[in-house]
Amino acid sequence: MTSSILVTALQYLGYILIFPGFLFCFLCGNLLIGIDRKLVARMQKRVGPPILQPFYDFFKLCGKETIIPAAASKTTFLLAPLVGLAALVVLQLFIPIRGFSAFSGTADIIVLLYLLLIPALAGILGAAASGSPYAGVGLSREMVTVIACELPLVLVLLAIAKAVGDGTGAGLCFSMGAISEYQIAHGSLICKASMIPAAIAFLMVIPGETGNHPFDAAEAETEICEGMLAEYSGAPLAVYKLTHAVKVLTLTSLFVALFLGGVGVGIPAVDALIVFALCIVVTAIFISLVHAVTARLKIEQLFKYYWTVVSGLALVSLVLAWYGL
Amino acid sequence: MNLMNLMDYHHFPIYSIMVLFLGAFVVAACGTKPSKNLKNPAGARAWIALLATALSLFFLICLVKPVMLGGEIIAYWMGNRAIAGGYAIGIALEVDALSLFFGLLIATAVFVSCLYSIRYMVHDDCVPQYYTLYCMLAGGVLGLVLSGDIFNMFVMVEILTFAAVALTAFRTKVYGALEAAFKYLVVGCMGSTAILAGVIMLYAQYHTLNLAQLATLIPGSMNNATKLAFAFLYIGFSTKAFIVPFHPLAADAHGAAPASISVLISGVLTKSGIYGIIRITYFLFQTMGLGTMQFMLVFIGSVSMFVCVTMALAQHDFKRLLAYHSISQIGYVLAAVGLASGLGFSAGLYHAMNHTLFKGLLFLAAGAVLHETGTTDLGKLGGLSKKMPHTTVLFLVGAFSISGVPPFNGFASKWMIYQATYQRAVETGNIGFLAVTIVALITSVLTLASFVKVTQSVFFGQLPAEYENVKEVPFGMRLAMGILAALCIFTGLFPRLVTTYLTEPAANAILNVGSYIRSMGFKSELILQRADFSQAGVWEPVSWLLILCIALLAVTIVAVASKYDSVSENREKNVAAKYQLFYGGEENVFSQVGGGDLFWGFKHNWRHYFGFMHELHSGVVNDYALWAVVALALAISFMMIVL
Amino acid sequence: MFKKLIAESTAKSPWLYHINSGSCNGCDIELVAVLTPRFDAERFGFKLTGSPRQADIVVVTGPVTKQSLNRVLRSIEQVPEPRCIVTMGSCPQSGNVFKGSYSVCAPLSKYVHVDVDIAGCTPRPEAIMDGLVKATEILKEKRGQK
Repeated sequence: MTSSILVTALQYLGYILIFPGFLFCFLCGNLLIGIDRKLVARMQKRVGPPILQPFYDFFKLCGKETIIPAAASKTTFLLAPLVGLAALVVLQLFIPIRGFSAFSGTADIIVLLYLLLIPALAGILGAAASGSPYAGVGLSREMVTVIACELPLVLVLLAIAKAVGDGTGAGLCFSMGAISEYQIAHGSLICKASMIPAAIAFLMVIPGETGNHPFDAAEAETEICEGMLAEYSGAPLAVYKLTHAVKVLTLTSLFVALFLGGVGVGIPAVDALIVFALCIVVTAIFISLVHAVTARLKIEQLFKYYWTVVSGLALVSLVLAWYGL
Repeated sequence: MNLMNLMDYHHFPIYSIMVLFLGAFVVAACGTKPSKNLKNPAGARAWIALLATALSLFFLICLVKPVMLGGEIIAYWMGNRAIAGGYAIGIALEVDALSLFFGLLIATAVFVSCLYSIRYMVHDDCVPQYYTLYCMLAGGVLGLVLSGDIFNMFVMVEILTFAAVALTAFRTKVYGALEAAFKYLVVGCMGSTAILAGVIMLYAQYHTLNLAQLATLIPGSMNNATKLAFAFLYIGFSTKAFIVPFHPLAADAHGAAPASISVLISGVLTKSGIYGIIRITYFLFQTMGLGTMQFMLVFIGSVSMFVCVTMALAQHDFKRLLAYHSISQIGYVLAAVGLASGLGFSAGLYHAMNHTLFKGLLFLAAGAVLHETGTTDLGKLGGLSKKMPHTTVLFLVGAFSISGVPPFNGFASKWMIYQATYQRAVETGNIGFLAVTIVALITSVLTLASFVKVTQSVFFGQLPAEYENVKEVPFGMRLAMGILAALCIFTGLFPRLVTTYLTEPAANAILNVGSYIRSMGFKSELILQRADFSQAGVWEPVSWLLILCIALLAVTIVAVASKYDSVSENREKNVAAKYQLFYGGEENVFSQVGGGDLFWGFKHNWRHYFGFMHELHSGVVNDYALWAVVALALAISFMMIVL
Repeated sequence: MFKKLIAESTAKSPWLYHINSGSCNGCDIELVAVLTPRFDAERFGFKLTGSPRQADIVVVTGPVTKQSLNRVLRSIEQVPEPRCIVTMGSCPQSGNVFKGSYSVCAPLSKYVHVDVDIAGCTPRPEAIMDGLVKATEILKEKRGQK
């Protein structure tokens, strides 16, 4: 009896620490960023950094001095990056990989929507705690970016809830696990006509949520000195960079789970590889390619873009799902 | 034997009201001479008021077992003057789960705020009189929600309105206090008068004032006069809840009143308005199944939540900002309650409770800042987290709760509201309810944005030189905030407990008007219903938090092991260049950032909307009175058409 | 092993912070040229950062005018250890054609320890790359000593 509890506890601990928790996030997240940087460089006819570059950056930053400005509130300043990273890893645990899921039973898509806010919020609080005026500008832009992305995301998720709910006959379906099962049974959601605009809208949201080009007004290096990260150095900065990497992984795998959930063969290890491969494809097209061909948008252009074009797409999808297409 | 009889819990509702009014009289009898104790100028009066509020809370908590768990409805005839000849002549209290639910919220807020007042109200003149008014206000609101007849509801509305007006004007030295009180007086009186007019019309028709009896008589015999009465009552209670179009009053009143009173206005007065609306729409007129009525309440709720949150984004005074948020959250409550489904009621009441807790906490934190720095201007404040660390943490708990960050309580209730609205949309096929879900979700993130602004410009950022000597607030104030913060976290972590023991009994009470009528001694054909509280989603805050804690622990261990915390920092007075903020190489004196217009990117796109809103909220009381009249006219025409 | 990993990584991921102390913009343009496809400094892991807090290498251009001296020193001071200071172009090394002017404080080495000097007016991109790679070696050494 006790041994079975111990085994379960160890299993859960394994989920949290190794797969799909920390180790997986650390390796795959950084790998995604490495691939992204390489691809962008190749698209610009450069040689580009080695694929392992994000790992070098991470370890280098771990070895640097960490300066805490006199004006900063030390606890918040140091704790914020850790909370953001932990929250993001927990979010990753809730995303199913074709049937296999560590904890998807305990969360639904509205919860996911809110959990996605926590890393951004942690970053914002850390930035506020640093006391830097650049961070102040950066955090206000970050917040506007979050607001901008929220509307399309809400519409997309509600559309999915309705579409899957119609499919299963429940009328509404919020549960992550149920969405995944539905796709395994009935094929990926992207095959539905009503879900195609939603999928495109979601893909457009990814670079905004992760703060990639052209939606990186929040940490524009050249104008506001890295914005939110202006005062961060050393290990906390490394954690922030890692958080960004994990966020790319989380959002791409969320896309895969929501729209391409039916893809796979049924063996967890192979499925995980397939999902990761799909994540790379999504990253390559919607982060690297977009990065290579666009210039940074101003914050109010960003807002307008998300609340008109992307939200419009998502709304089309919602209306189509509403009428059962 | 008599003593035992007095301790029968059927007497407790009247006790809980009585102690507050008694407290008011005792405090008043103590005279107006301030005590010599500078830390508590009201002396024993403060403790009397605290005792009264504590006793009131105690009596109501004793009622939880029979009413919430046992499902009993306490009908209490004062002086034993029960029904005679089929008519209710005497004054009655009727406490069902709904009344008790609101009563508990009110008593909790009143008690905590009183605890806070003791150390907070030290810089003012006339502090002794403060507690008299305070107890009157508390007694008025409690009397309103426990009352079993509609005329007493009106009387209590009058008491609470005048106490609230006097307390709003309490700090006569504060700029705008008298003006705010005047506005409140004018529009509040219009509201009270509307309620009186409604009561008169009902009395003229049915010759009774008892709620239960009216509930038996009205639904079958609606005529134009009753519809008119409905409109008047609705508008009257709207002014008490400050929902659109009465929201500008709240902003003025909150900005000027002492923080402990803002807690009452926001957490308690608005609840009494919501309570009144629920009572009249669902009990007196029983418009539960009426789609148009649902539509109206949900529509006004959604408009309130969105308009007020955008108004809040444009504020640069801490307390005015909180005031607008307060109404925005009331909008959530109204929208959920307007759905008239079991889950909707449960979610709405849950949010009402959470609103009292977190809004109280936020106002108390604002009061703490005001107490120490003497200002609530977001542009002037900054960097207080180093001087007031406890207040900062408590404020953050409140801010996270109101913005719906998991696992705090705001998330639990908002999450239920989203589901309730979406379920309603799917059930009825009405796309309008879907729009409500979307508006609610967006409002939530805008709320977050607004609180980010407050956090950045009050607690973080650079500390202005004049606040170099600011200290943490006294323990008494922190204790009051701590109680609310603990409740915020508790109700967020255990939503099941809250819904099972508090909101679902109350929701069932709303749905079962028949038993309300019958327990008062009248006949009713209405059958018992079981509400449907099933939810489409899953949310287990405790397990989520557990996983988060393990994850956070893991990160922290790795971080500490890799010497994450071996940081270099500077604690000396003269900061070396290395530890100054980076400001393009300049010295730090140039690096001050205020909190005036943080969300330019958002506001620029909405500039026409904000310009329009700016024009609309002129601050002239005549305009607001006109709004009230227009709202009344609209309500009357609406009732005439749909009922 | 961890230490070695960090030292290796330090050499492979040097981030630059560029300070213009009154330069004629010639060197600044050349520095940008180094990052463009033709020379692509990113293959060594170089990256321009916006804040000195994140930098490893500080590149100073220009003759360090009186107006900018304090700002330059303050910004350099704010770079966390281990750091490496590189002067680019002749101006910060000698003052170049501005030498002797009342408003010029060059050479920079009077005020801080300079690790690498990249000479030329302006230096060729190849020279800049060479100097920066030398700087990374110095960084690694500094990291190793710690």
